[in-house]
Amino acid sequence: MTDDSGAKAGPDAERRRFLFATGTASVVAGILGFTAATVRFLFPNVLYEAPSRFPVGLPQDFPPGSATFLPERRLFVFNSPQGFYAISSVCTHLGCNVRHDQQQGFSCPCHGSAFDGLGRVVSGPAPRSLAWFGLSLSARGELVVDEQRLVDPDYRFKA
Amino acid sequence: MNWASIQRAERQLRSSVFRVGWPRTNKDRAAAMISSLFLHVHPAKVRPASLRFSYSLGLGLISLFLLLVLTVTGVFLMLSYTPHPPEAYRSMKDLEFVVTFGTVLRNMHRWAAHAMVFVVFLHMCRVFFTGAYKPPRQFNWVVGVGLLLLTLALSFTGYLLPWDQLAFWAITVGTNIAAYAPLVGEQLKYLLLGGHVIGPGALLRFYVLHCVILPVAIFMLAAVHVWRVRRDGGLAVPSEALPSPVEEGPAGAFPASTRSYGLMALTYRPAVPIQEIEPDEEVMSWPHLLFRELILLLAVLVVLHVVALSFNAPLEEIANATSTPNPAKAPWYFLGLQELVHYSALVGGVLVPGLLVLGLLLVPYLDPKLRGVGVWFPPQRRLANIVFGVLAGAMVALTFVGMFFRGPNWHWIWPWAR
Repeated sequence: MTDDSGAKAGPDAERRRFLFATGTASVVAGILGFTAATVRFLFPNVLYEAPSRFPVGLPQDFPPGSATFLPERRLFVFNSPQGFYAISSVCTHLGCNVRHDQQQGFSCPCHGSAFDGLGRVVSGPAPRSLAWFGLSLSARGELVVDEQRLVDPDYRFKA
Repeated sequence: MNWASIQRAERQLRSSVFRVGWPRTNKDRAAAMISSLFLHVHPAKVRPASLRFSYSLGLGLISLFLLLVLTVTGVFLMLSYTPHPPEAYRSMKDLEFVVTFGTVLRNMHRWAAHAMVFVVFLHMCRVFFTGAYKPPRQFNWVVGVGLLLLTLALSFTGYLLPWDQLAFWAITVGTNIAAYAPLVGEQLKYLLLGGHVIGPGALLRFYVLHCVILPVAIFMLAAVHVWRVRRDGGLAVPSEALPSPVEEGPAGAFPASTRSYGLMALTYRPAVPIQEIEPDEEVMSWPHLLFRELILLLAVLVVLHVVALSFNAPLEEIANATSTPNPAKAPWYFLGLQELVHYSALVGGVLVPGLLVLGLLLVPYLDPKLRGVGVWFPPQRRLANIVFGVLAGAMVALTFVGMFFRGPNWHWIWPWAR
Protein backbone atom coordinates (compact mmCIF):
# COMPACT_ATOMS: atom_id res chain seq x y z
CA MET A 1 0.00 0.00 0.00
CA THR A 2 1.49 3.34 -1.00
CA ASP A 3 1.07 6.44 1.08
CA ASP A 4 -1.14 8.81 -0.89
CA SER A 5 -1.32 11.56 1.75
CA GLY A 6 1.18 13.63 -0.23
CA ALA A 7 3.56 13.99 2.68
CA LYS A 8 6.99 15.30 1.82
CA ALA A 9 10.04 15.62 3.96
CA GLY A 10 11.12 19.07 5.03
CA PRO A 11 10.00 21.90 7.32
CA ASP A 12 6.39 21.64 6.03
CA ALA A 13 6.12 18.00 7.05
CA GLU A 14 7.64 18.73 10.42
CA ARG A 15 5.22 21.58 11.04
CA ARG A 16 2.33 19.37 9.94
CA ARG A 17 3.46 16.64 12.36
CA PHE A 18 3.70 19.14 15.19
CA LEU A 19 0.24 20.58 14.47
CA PHE A 20 -1.25 17.09 14.20
CA ALA A 21 0.28 16.05 17.53
CA THR A 22 -0.88 19.25 19.25
CA GLY A 23 -4.36 18.83 17.81
CA THR A 24 -4.60 15.21 18.88
CA ALA A 25 -3.35 16.03 22.37
CA SER A 26 -5.94 18.83 22.68
CA VAL A 27 -8.77 16.55 21.61
CA VAL A 28 -7.68 13.83 24.03
CA ALA A 29 -7.33 16.38 26.85
CA GLY A 30 -10.77 17.77 26.02
CA ILE A 31 -12.39 14.33 26.08
CA LEU A 32 -10.70 13.48 29.39
CA GLY A 33 -11.85 16.79 30.86
CA PHE A 34 -15.43 16.28 29.75
CA THR A 35 -15.38 12.73 31.10
CA ALA A 36 -14.10 13.93 34.47
CA ALA A 37 -16.72 16.69 34.57
CA THR A 38 -19.47 14.18 33.72
CA VAL A 39 -18.35 11.76 36.43
CA ARG A 40 -18.19 14.60 38.94
CA PHE A 41 -21.68 15.73 37.91
CA LEU A 42 -23.03 12.26 38.70
CA PHE A 43 -21.98 12.54 42.34
CA PRO A 44 -24.65 14.48 44.24
CA ASN A 45 -23.56 17.49 46.32
CA VAL A 46 -26.60 17.59 48.58
CA LEU A 47 -28.32 14.52 49.94
CA TYR A 48 -31.94 14.85 50.96
CA GLU A 49 -31.59 11.97 53.34
CA ALA A 50 -32.51 11.62 57.00
CA PRO A 51 -30.00 13.30 59.38
CA SER A 52 -27.40 11.00 60.88
CA ARG A 53 -27.72 12.56 64.36
CA PHE A 54 -31.16 12.48 65.94
CA PRO A 55 -32.96 12.18 69.30
CA VAL A 56 -34.67 8.87 70.02
CA GLY A 57 -36.55 9.71 73.25
CA LEU A 58 -36.11 10.26 76.96
CA PRO A 59 -33.95 7.72 78.85
CA GLN A 60 -36.95 6.65 80.96
CA ASP A 61 -38.73 5.64 77.69
CA PHE A 62 -36.39 2.66 77.61
CA PRO A 63 -37.05 0.38 80.63
CA PRO A 64 -34.04 -1.26 82.32
CA GLY A 65 -32.97 -4.47 80.62
CA SER A 66 -34.98 -3.67 77.48
CA ALA A 67 -34.07 -3.89 73.79
CA THR A 68 -36.09 -1.43 71.70
CA PHE A 69 -36.22 -1.62 67.91
CA LEU A 70 -36.70 1.76 66.21
CA PRO A 71 -37.70 0.73 62.66
CA GLU A 72 -37.59 4.26 61.17
CA ARG A 73 -34.02 4.68 62.39
CA ARG A 74 -33.01 1.10 61.67
CA LEU A 75 -31.35 0.56 65.05
CA PHE A 76 -31.81 -1.00 68.47
CA VAL A 77 -31.49 0.90 71.77
CA PHE A 78 -30.50 -1.18 74.81
CA ASN A 79 -30.76 -0.19 78.47
CA SER A 80 -28.34 -2.40 80.39
CA PRO A 81 -27.37 -2.10 84.06
CA GLN A 82 -24.03 -0.59 82.90
CA GLY A 83 -25.75 2.00 80.72
CA PHE A 84 -27.34 2.65 77.32
CA TYR A 85 -26.00 1.49 73.96
CA ALA A 86 -27.30 1.57 70.38
CA ILE A 87 -26.68 -1.10 67.72
CA SER A 88 -27.52 -0.73 64.02
CA SER A 89 -30.09 -3.15 62.59
CA VAL A 90 -28.50 -2.96 59.13
CA CYS A 91 -26.84 -6.29 58.37
CA THR A 92 -23.21 -5.77 57.35
CA HIS A 93 -23.62 -8.38 54.62
CA LEU A 94 -26.16 -6.90 52.20
CA GLY A 95 -28.12 -4.32 54.16
CA CYS A 96 -31.24 -6.18 55.34
CA ASN A 97 -32.76 -5.46 58.77
CA VAL A 98 -31.64 -7.99 61.38
CA ARG A 99 -34.04 -9.33 64.02
CA HIS A 100 -33.21 -9.41 67.72
CA ASP A 101 -33.86 -12.15 70.21
CA GLN A 102 -32.94 -11.75 73.92
CA GLN A 103 -31.44 -15.26 74.06
CA GLN A 104 -29.98 -15.78 70.59
CA GLY A 105 -28.85 -12.27 69.67
CA PHE A 106 -29.34 -10.96 66.11
CA SER A 107 -30.21 -12.88 62.94
CA CYS A 108 -30.55 -11.69 59.35
CA PRO A 109 -33.47 -12.91 57.22
CA CYS A 110 -31.74 -12.45 53.90
CA HIS A 111 -28.75 -14.73 53.98
CA GLY A 112 -28.85 -16.25 57.44
CA SER A 113 -26.04 -14.32 59.15
CA ALA A 114 -26.18 -14.66 62.95
CA PHE A 115 -24.73 -12.25 65.52
CA ASP A 116 -24.42 -12.57 69.30
CA GLY A 117 -26.07 -10.17 71.76
CA LEU A 118 -23.29 -7.61 71.20
CA GLY A 119 -23.58 -7.74 67.42
CA ARG A 120 -20.46 -9.86 66.83
CA VAL A 121 -20.64 -12.31 63.91
CA VAL A 122 -21.38 -15.87 65.05
CA SER A 123 -22.07 -17.49 61.70
CA GLY A 124 -23.11 -16.73 58.15
CA PRO A 125 -21.67 -14.53 55.40
CA ALA A 126 -21.64 -11.17 57.26
CA PRO A 127 -18.07 -9.81 57.10
CA ARG A 128 -18.21 -7.44 60.10
CA SER A 129 -19.94 -6.93 63.44
CA LEU A 130 -23.05 -4.76 63.54
CA ALA A 131 -22.27 -1.04 63.92
CA TRP A 132 -22.40 0.59 67.38
CA PHE A 133 -23.37 4.26 67.55
CA GLY A 134 -22.30 6.86 70.06
CA LEU A 135 -24.92 8.36 72.39
CA SER A 136 -25.30 11.73 74.08
CA LEU A 137 -27.96 13.76 75.86
CA SER A 138 -29.74 16.69 74.25
CA ALA A 139 -30.53 19.91 76.09
CA ARG A 140 -34.04 18.55 76.64
CA GLY A 141 -32.60 15.45 78.28
CA GLU A 142 -33.31 13.18 75.31
CA LEU A 143 -31.00 10.38 74.21
CA VAL A 144 -29.30 11.37 70.94
CA VAL A 145 -27.84 8.81 68.53
CA ASP A 146 -24.95 9.87 66.28
CA GLU A 147 -24.57 7.48 63.35
CA GLN A 148 -21.37 9.21 62.27
CA ARG A 149 -19.71 8.30 65.59
CA LEU A 150 -18.92 4.58 65.63
CA VAL A 151 -17.97 3.10 69.00
CA ASP A 152 -16.65 -0.20 70.36
CA PRO A 153 -18.86 -2.90 71.92
CA ASP A 154 -17.61 -2.01 75.44
CA TYR A 155 -19.29 1.40 75.09
CA ARG A 156 -22.02 2.16 77.66
CA PHE A 157 -23.66 5.54 78.14
CA LYS A 158 -24.82 6.64 81.60
CA ALA A 159 -27.80 8.94 81.19
CA MET B 1 -62.22 11.67 -12.99
CA ASN B 2 -62.74 8.21 -14.34
CA TRP B 3 -61.75 4.90 -12.85
CA ALA B 4 -58.64 4.52 -14.99
CA SER B 5 -57.18 7.82 -13.86
CA ILE B 6 -57.83 6.94 -10.22
CA GLN B 7 -55.99 3.68 -10.74
CA ARG B 8 -53.14 5.49 -12.43
CA ALA B 9 -52.89 7.98 -9.56
CA GLU B 10 -52.92 5.13 -7.06
CA ARG B 11 -50.13 3.38 -8.96
CA GLN B 12 -48.05 6.53 -9.02
CA LEU B 13 -48.55 7.08 -5.33
CA ARG B 14 -47.64 3.48 -4.53
CA SER B 15 -44.53 3.50 -6.69
CA SER B 16 -43.42 6.71 -5.03
CA VAL B 17 -43.45 4.88 -1.69
CA PHE B 18 -42.31 1.40 -2.74
CA ARG B 19 -39.66 1.46 -5.44
CA VAL B 20 -40.12 -2.24 -6.13
CA GLY B 21 -43.67 -3.50 -6.26
CA TRP B 22 -44.70 -6.91 -5.03
CA PRO B 23 -41.75 -8.90 -6.37
CA ARG B 24 -42.47 -11.57 -8.95
CA THR B 25 -38.99 -12.30 -10.27
CA ASN B 26 -35.83 -13.22 -8.40
CA LYS B 27 -34.30 -9.94 -9.49
CA ASP B 28 -37.20 -8.04 -7.93
CA ARG B 29 -37.05 -10.22 -4.82
CA ALA B 30 -33.42 -9.22 -4.37
CA ALA B 31 -34.25 -5.59 -5.13
CA ALA B 32 -37.10 -5.61 -2.60
CA MET B 33 -34.66 -6.57 0.13
CA ILE B 34 -31.95 -4.13 -0.88
CA SER B 35 -34.13 -1.09 -1.56
CA SER B 36 -35.85 -1.04 1.84
CA LEU B 37 -34.21 0.53 4.87
CA PHE B 38 -35.89 -1.97 7.15
CA LEU B 39 -35.23 -5.06 5.03
CA HIS B 40 -31.79 -4.32 3.70
CA VAL B 41 -30.09 -5.78 6.74
CA HIS B 42 -31.07 -9.10 5.16
CA PRO B 43 -29.01 -10.64 2.39
CA ALA B 44 -30.74 -11.12 -0.95
CA LYS B 45 -30.19 -14.86 -0.68
CA VAL B 46 -29.61 -17.19 2.26
CA ARG B 47 -28.26 -20.68 2.69
CA PRO B 48 -30.95 -23.27 3.33
CA ALA B 49 -28.83 -24.47 6.29
CA SER B 50 -29.22 -21.07 7.98
CA LEU B 51 -32.98 -21.27 7.68
CA ARG B 52 -33.29 -24.57 9.56
CA PHE B 53 -35.08 -23.88 12.82
CA SER B 54 -33.38 -26.86 14.49
CA TYR B 55 -30.02 -25.14 13.97
CA SER B 56 -30.60 -21.62 15.33
CA LEU B 57 -33.87 -22.21 17.22
CA GLY B 58 -34.60 -18.61 16.24
CA LEU B 59 -33.22 -17.47 19.59
CA GLY B 60 -31.49 -14.31 18.36
CA LEU B 61 -34.59 -13.19 16.50
CA ILE B 62 -36.80 -13.96 19.49
CA SER B 63 -34.52 -11.79 21.65
CA LEU B 64 -34.87 -8.95 19.15
CA PHE B 65 -38.65 -9.32 18.99
CA LEU B 66 -38.85 -9.29 22.78
CA LEU B 67 -36.74 -6.13 22.83
CA LEU B 68 -39.19 -4.48 20.42
CA VAL B 69 -42.20 -5.59 22.48
CA LEU B 70 -40.49 -4.25 25.61
CA THR B 71 -39.84 -0.91 23.92
CA VAL B 72 -43.43 -0.49 22.80
CA THR B 73 -45.03 -1.62 26.07
CA GLY B 74 -42.41 0.33 28.03
CA VAL B 75 -43.20 3.60 26.28
CA PHE B 76 -46.91 3.11 27.01
CA LEU B 77 -46.13 2.31 30.65
CA MET B 78 -44.14 5.55 30.89
CA LEU B 79 -47.32 7.47 30.09
CA SER B 80 -48.86 6.41 33.39
CA TYR B 81 -45.82 6.28 35.62
CA THR B 82 -44.39 8.85 38.04
CA PRO B 83 -40.78 8.12 39.00
CA HIS B 84 -41.03 9.36 42.57
CA PRO B 85 -42.02 7.56 45.76
CA PRO B 86 -44.75 6.95 46.79
CA GLU B 87 -46.54 7.97 43.54
CA ALA B 88 -44.55 5.28 41.72
CA TYR B 89 -46.38 2.61 43.69
CA ARG B 90 -49.71 4.36 43.11
CA SER B 91 -48.94 4.26 39.38
CA MET B 92 -48.90 0.45 39.67
CA LYS B 93 -52.27 0.54 41.39
CA ASP B 94 -53.58 2.87 38.69
CA LEU B 95 -52.36 0.50 36.00
CA GLU B 96 -54.11 -2.31 37.80
CA PHE B 97 -57.45 -0.64 38.52
CA VAL B 98 -57.83 2.54 36.46
CA VAL B 99 -55.95 2.36 33.16
CA THR B 100 -57.68 0.46 30.33
CA PHE B 101 -55.67 -2.71 29.64
CA GLY B 102 -53.12 -1.44 32.18
CA THR B 103 -52.75 -4.84 33.82
CA VAL B 104 -52.17 -6.60 30.50
CA LEU B 105 -49.66 -3.95 29.50
CA ARG B 106 -47.69 -4.36 32.72
CA ASN B 107 -47.93 -8.15 32.54
CA MET B 108 -46.59 -8.18 28.99
CA HIS B 109 -43.70 -5.91 29.89
CA ARG B 110 -42.83 -7.97 32.95
CA TRP B 111 -43.01 -11.38 31.32
CA ALA B 112 -41.29 -10.23 28.13
CA ALA B 113 -38.44 -8.88 30.29
CA HIS B 114 -38.06 -12.18 32.13
CA ALA B 115 -38.30 -14.06 28.82
CA MET B 116 -35.64 -11.86 27.25
CA VAL B 117 -33.10 -12.62 30.00
CA PHE B 118 -33.81 -16.31 29.53
CA VAL B 119 -33.77 -16.30 25.71
CA VAL B 120 -30.59 -14.21 25.50
CA PHE B 121 -28.92 -16.77 27.79
CA LEU B 122 -30.17 -19.64 25.59
CA HIS B 123 -28.96 -17.79 22.49
CA MET B 124 -25.48 -17.58 24.02
CA CYS B 125 -25.56 -21.32 24.77
CA ARG B 126 -26.66 -22.05 21.19
CA VAL B 127 -23.84 -19.97 19.73
CA PHE B 128 -21.33 -21.70 21.97
CA PHE B 129 -22.51 -25.26 21.39
CA THR B 130 -22.44 -24.73 17.62
CA GLY B 131 -19.00 -23.05 17.68
CA ALA B 132 -20.45 -20.01 15.95
CA TYR B 133 -18.07 -17.60 17.70
CA LYS B 134 -15.09 -18.79 15.68
CA PRO B 135 -13.36 -16.51 13.15
CA PRO B 136 -14.50 -14.26 11.63
CA ARG B 137 -17.21 -13.91 14.29
CA GLN B 138 -15.02 -13.46 17.40
CA PHE B 139 -15.86 -9.84 17.97
CA ASN B 140 -19.57 -10.37 17.45
CA TRP B 141 -19.47 -12.81 20.36
CA VAL B 142 -17.92 -10.01 22.45
CA VAL B 143 -20.70 -7.67 21.33
CA GLY B 144 -23.14 -10.41 22.35
CA VAL B 145 -21.64 -10.57 25.84
CA GLY B 146 -22.20 -6.81 26.04
CA LEU B 147 -25.82 -7.33 25.02
CA LEU B 148 -26.26 -10.00 27.70
CA LEU B 149 -24.94 -7.60 30.36
CA LEU B 150 -27.15 -4.78 29.07
CA THR B 151 -30.16 -7.10 29.15
CA LEU B 152 -29.43 -7.92 32.78
CA ALA B 153 -28.87 -4.23 33.62
CA LEU B 154 -32.15 -3.23 31.95
CA SER B 155 -34.04 -5.93 33.80
CA PHE B 156 -32.41 -5.00 37.11
CA THR B 157 -33.05 -1.25 36.81
CA GLY B 158 -36.66 -1.95 35.83
CA TYR B 159 -37.08 -4.12 38.90
CA LEU B 160 -37.04 -1.11 41.27
CA LEU B 161 -39.63 0.96 39.41
CA PRO B 162 -42.86 -0.56 40.89
CA TRP B 163 -41.57 0.58 44.29
CA ASP B 164 -43.05 -2.36 46.18
CA GLN B 165 -41.41 -4.52 48.83
CA LEU B 166 -40.20 -7.00 46.19
CA ALA B 167 -38.53 -4.17 44.24
CA PHE B 168 -37.04 -2.40 47.25
CA TRP B 169 -35.37 -5.39 48.86
CA ALA B 170 -34.20 -6.97 45.64
CA ILE B 171 -32.43 -3.71 44.78
CA THR B 172 -31.12 -3.41 48.37
CA VAL B 173 -29.49 -6.82 48.05
CA GLY B 174 -28.33 -6.13 44.48
CA THR B 175 -26.69 -2.76 45.11
CA ASN B 176 -25.02 -4.03 48.27
CA ILE B 177 -23.46 -6.83 46.21
CA ALA B 178 -22.00 -4.09 43.97
CA ALA B 179 -20.55 -2.42 47.09
CA TYR B 180 -18.31 -5.45 47.62
CA ALA B 181 -16.29 -4.65 44.49
CA PRO B 182 -12.72 -3.94 45.64
CA LEU B 183 -11.63 -0.27 45.92
CA VAL B 184 -14.51 1.30 43.97
CA GLY B 185 -17.39 -0.71 45.47
CA GLU B 186 -18.75 1.85 47.92
CA GLN B 187 -18.35 4.69 45.42
CA LEU B 188 -20.08 2.59 42.77
CA LYS B 189 -23.06 2.01 45.04
CA TYR B 190 -23.15 5.72 45.96
CA LEU B 191 -23.08 6.65 42.27
CA LEU B 192 -25.78 4.11 41.37
CA LEU B 193 -28.12 5.25 44.15
CA GLY B 194 -27.20 8.92 44.06
CA GLY B 195 -26.86 8.71 47.85
CA HIS B 196 -26.57 6.20 50.65
CA VAL B 197 -30.11 4.87 50.72
CA ILE B 198 -32.70 3.76 48.19
CA GLY B 199 -34.86 6.88 48.07
CA PRO B 200 -36.27 9.32 45.50
CA GLY B 201 -32.83 9.99 44.03
CA ALA B 202 -32.14 6.31 43.47
CA LEU B 203 -35.56 5.76 41.89
CA LEU B 204 -34.98 8.65 39.46
CA ARG B 205 -31.57 7.32 38.51
CA PHE B 206 -32.90 3.82 37.90
CA TYR B 207 -35.79 5.28 35.89
CA VAL B 208 -33.54 7.28 33.58
CA LEU B 209 -31.12 4.37 33.24
CA HIS B 210 -34.01 2.02 32.45
CA CYS B 211 -35.92 4.27 30.06
CA VAL B 212 -33.21 6.25 28.27
CA ILE B 213 -29.56 5.39 28.78
CA LEU B 214 -29.64 1.59 28.69
CA PRO B 215 -32.23 1.31 25.86
CA VAL B 216 -30.17 3.62 23.66
CA ALA B 217 -27.08 1.55 24.46
CA ILE B 218 -28.75 -1.80 23.80
CA PHE B 219 -30.25 -0.65 20.50
CA MET B 220 -26.90 0.64 19.30
CA LEU B 221 -25.14 -2.55 20.30
CA ALA B 222 -27.94 -4.72 18.86
CA ALA B 223 -27.61 -2.84 15.57
CA VAL B 224 -23.87 -3.56 15.54
CA HIS B 225 -24.60 -7.20 16.42
CA VAL B 226 -27.09 -7.73 13.58
CA TRP B 227 -24.96 -5.76 11.13
CA ARG B 228 -21.97 -7.96 11.89
CA VAL B 229 -23.96 -11.16 11.56
CA ARG B 230 -24.61 -10.00 8.01
CA ARG B 231 -21.05 -8.76 7.36
CA ASP B 232 -19.54 -11.96 8.74
CA GLY B 233 -21.48 -13.99 6.22
CA GLY B 234 -24.71 -14.88 7.99
CA LEU B 235 -25.04 -17.79 10.37
CA ALA B 236 -22.05 -20.08 10.73
CA VAL B 237 -22.15 -23.17 8.49
CA PRO B 238 -19.95 -26.29 8.60
CA SER B 239 -18.28 -25.62 5.23
CA GLU B 240 -16.57 -22.56 6.71
CA ALA B 241 -14.32 -24.86 8.70
CA LEU B 242 -12.92 -26.41 5.53
CA PRO B 243 -9.50 -25.19 4.44
CA SER B 244 -9.79 -22.48 1.85
CA PRO B 245 -7.52 -22.83 -1.20
CA VAL B 246 -8.29 -19.27 -2.24
CA GLU B 247 -5.39 -16.85 -1.96
CA GLU B 248 -5.65 -13.88 0.35
CA GLY B 249 -7.28 -11.04 -1.52
CA PRO B 250 -7.08 -7.36 -0.71
CA ALA B 251 -7.47 -6.97 3.02
CA GLY B 252 -9.55 -4.32 4.70
CA ALA B 253 -13.25 -3.66 4.68
CA PHE B 254 -14.19 -6.98 3.17
CA PRO B 255 -13.37 -9.98 5.37
CA ALA B 256 -13.04 -13.42 3.92
CA SER B 257 -16.64 -14.39 4.31
CA THR B 258 -18.27 -11.33 2.81
CA ARG B 259 -20.80 -12.24 0.19
CA SER B 260 -22.85 -9.51 -1.42
CA TYR B 261 -25.14 -11.14 -3.89
CA GLY B 262 -27.27 -8.08 -4.35
CA LEU B 263 -24.18 -6.21 -5.45
CA MET B 264 -22.41 -9.26 -6.76
CA ALA B 265 -19.76 -7.34 -8.58
CA LEU B 266 -18.45 -6.10 -5.27
CA THR B 267 -17.49 -9.49 -3.89
CA TYR B 268 -13.77 -9.24 -3.24
CA ARG B 269 -13.01 -12.81 -2.37
CA PRO B 270 -15.09 -15.79 -1.39
CA ALA B 271 -14.60 -17.53 1.93
CA VAL B 272 -14.76 -20.99 0.45
CA PRO B 273 -14.07 -22.26 -3.01
CA ILE B 274 -16.72 -21.14 -5.45
CA GLN B 275 -17.65 -24.74 -6.11
CA GLU B 276 -18.49 -25.18 -2.41
CA ILE B 277 -21.26 -22.60 -2.29
CA GLU B 278 -22.92 -21.67 -5.51
CA PRO B 279 -25.29 -18.76 -5.27
CA ASP B 280 -27.79 -21.07 -6.92
CA GLU B 281 -27.72 -23.39 -3.92
CA GLU B 282 -29.13 -20.59 -1.86
CA VAL B 283 -32.73 -19.50 -1.71
CA MET B 284 -34.20 -16.03 -1.99
CA SER B 285 -34.61 -14.22 1.33
CA TRP B 286 -37.93 -13.04 0.03
CA PRO B 287 -40.01 -15.01 0.84
CA HIS B 288 -38.07 -17.83 2.54
CA LEU B 289 -36.37 -15.84 5.32
CA LEU B 290 -38.95 -13.08 5.64
CA PHE B 291 -41.81 -15.53 5.95
CA ARG B 292 -40.05 -17.44 8.73
CA GLU B 293 -39.29 -14.23 10.57
CA LEU B 294 -42.91 -13.13 10.44
CA ILE B 295 -44.12 -16.52 11.66
CA LEU B 296 -41.66 -16.34 14.55
CA LEU B 297 -42.75 -12.78 15.41
CA LEU B 298 -46.36 -13.92 15.37
CA ALA B 299 -45.54 -16.88 17.62
CA VAL B 300 -43.72 -14.62 20.10
CA LEU B 301 -46.66 -12.20 20.20
CA VAL B 302 -49.21 -14.98 20.64
CA VAL B 303 -47.29 -16.66 23.45
CA LEU B 304 -46.71 -13.31 25.19
CA HIS B 305 -50.40 -12.42 25.01
CA VAL B 306 -51.47 -15.79 26.35
CA VAL B 307 -49.03 -15.50 29.25
CA ALA B 308 -49.92 -11.85 29.95
CA LEU B 309 -53.62 -12.63 29.97
CA SER B 310 -53.15 -15.67 32.20
CA PHE B 311 -50.62 -14.58 34.80
CA ASN B 312 -50.41 -11.29 36.66
CA ALA B 313 -47.07 -9.62 37.32
CA PRO B 314 -46.31 -9.72 41.05
CA LEU B 315 -46.98 -6.63 43.15
CA GLU B 316 -46.45 -6.63 46.89
CA GLU B 317 -47.21 -3.90 49.42
CA ILE B 318 -45.50 -0.51 49.11
CA ALA B 319 -41.74 -0.38 49.73
CA ASN B 320 -40.90 -0.17 53.43
CA ALA B 321 -37.28 0.29 54.47
CA THR B 322 -38.07 -0.71 58.06
CA SER B 323 -39.44 -4.17 57.37
CA THR B 324 -37.34 -6.75 55.56
CA PRO B 325 -39.37 -9.62 54.12
CA ASN B 326 -38.07 -13.01 55.12
CA PRO B 327 -36.50 -14.31 52.93
CA ALA B 328 -35.50 -11.27 50.84
CA LYS B 329 -34.64 -12.44 47.35
CA ALA B 330 -32.96 -10.74 44.41
CA PRO B 331 -34.56 -10.98 40.92
CA TRP B 332 -34.53 -14.63 39.81
CA TYR B 333 -31.69 -14.23 37.32
CA PHE B 334 -29.46 -13.03 40.17
CA LEU B 335 -30.50 -15.80 42.57
CA GLY B 336 -27.53 -17.88 41.46
CA LEU B 337 -25.33 -14.97 42.52
CA GLN B 338 -27.27 -14.51 45.75
CA GLU B 339 -26.77 -18.18 46.53
CA LEU B 340 -23.02 -17.70 46.03
CA VAL B 341 -23.12 -14.45 48.01
CA HIS B 342 -24.67 -16.40 50.86
CA TYR B 343 -21.36 -18.26 51.17
CA SER B 344 -19.12 -15.24 50.62
CA ALA B 345 -20.02 -11.80 49.35
CA LEU B 346 -16.61 -11.10 47.83
CA VAL B 347 -16.25 -14.48 46.11
CA GLY B 348 -19.88 -14.82 45.09
CA GLY B 349 -20.69 -11.21 44.34
CA VAL B 350 -17.50 -10.02 42.71
CA LEU B 351 -14.93 -12.71 41.99
CA VAL B 352 -17.14 -15.37 40.38
CA PRO B 353 -19.25 -13.02 38.20
CA GLY B 354 -16.14 -11.02 37.28
CA LEU B 355 -14.28 -14.12 36.17
CA LEU B 356 -17.35 -15.45 34.33
CA VAL B 357 -17.69 -12.24 32.30
CA LEU B 358 -13.94 -12.10 31.64
CA GLY B 359 -14.00 -15.75 30.56
CA LEU B 360 -16.94 -15.12 28.24
CA LEU B 361 -15.19 -12.14 26.66
CA LEU B 362 -12.04 -14.18 26.04
CA VAL B 363 -13.76 -17.33 24.73
CA PRO B 364 -13.37 -16.62 20.99
CA TYR B 365 -9.74 -15.59 21.40
CA LEU B 366 -8.76 -18.57 23.54
CA ASP B 367 -10.43 -21.01 21.17
CA PRO B 368 -10.04 -19.70 17.61
CA LYS B 369 -9.43 -23.03 15.82
CA LEU B 370 -11.80 -23.46 12.92
CA ARG B 371 -13.25 -26.87 13.54
CA GLY B 372 -16.67 -28.13 14.40
CA VAL B 373 -18.33 -24.91 13.26
CA GLY B 374 -22.03 -24.68 12.46
CA VAL B 375 -23.24 -27.98 13.94
CA TRP B 376 -24.57 -28.82 17.37
CA PHE B 377 -22.18 -30.58 19.78
CA PRO B 378 -19.47 -31.45 17.20
CA PRO B 379 -17.13 -34.18 18.48
CA GLN B 380 -14.07 -32.00 17.68
CA ARG B 381 -15.21 -29.53 20.32
CA ARG B 382 -16.26 -31.96 23.02
CA LEU B 383 -13.98 -30.54 25.73
CA ALA B 384 -14.99 -26.89 25.12
CA ASN B 385 -18.65 -27.81 25.09
CA ILE B 386 -18.34 -29.85 28.29
CA VAL B 387 -16.57 -27.01 30.12
CA PHE B 388 -19.14 -24.47 28.98
CA GLY B 389 -22.03 -26.85 29.67
CA VAL B 390 -20.81 -27.52 33.22
CA LEU B 391 -20.41 -23.79 33.99
CA ALA B 392 -23.76 -22.85 32.48
CA GLY B 393 -25.39 -25.81 34.22
CA ALA B 394 -23.86 -24.77 37.55
CA MET B 395 -25.27 -21.26 37.20
CA VAL B 396 -28.70 -22.70 36.34
CA ALA B 397 -28.52 -25.13 39.28
CA LEU B 398 -27.54 -22.36 41.72
CA THR B 399 -30.40 -20.23 40.41
CA PHE B 400 -32.81 -23.12 40.98
CA VAL B 401 -31.52 -23.57 44.52
CA GLY B 402 -32.04 -19.87 45.22
CA MET B 403 -35.50 -19.93 43.69
CA PHE B 404 -37.00 -23.06 45.17
CA PHE B 405 -34.79 -24.39 47.95
CA ARG B 406 -34.28 -21.31 50.10
CA GLY B 407 -36.78 -20.31 52.75
CA PRO B 408 -36.77 -17.95 55.76
CA ASN B 409 -33.27 -16.93 56.90
CA TRP B 410 -31.98 -18.44 53.65
CA HIS B 411 -32.22 -21.87 55.26
CA TRP B 412 -32.51 -24.93 53.07
CA ILE B 413 -36.12 -25.86 52.43
CA TRP B 414 -37.69 -28.48 50.19
CA PRO B 415 -40.04 -26.83 47.69
CA TRP B 416 -42.85 -29.28 48.53
CA ALA B 417 -42.48 -28.71 52.27
CA ARG B 418 -43.79 -25.15 52.38
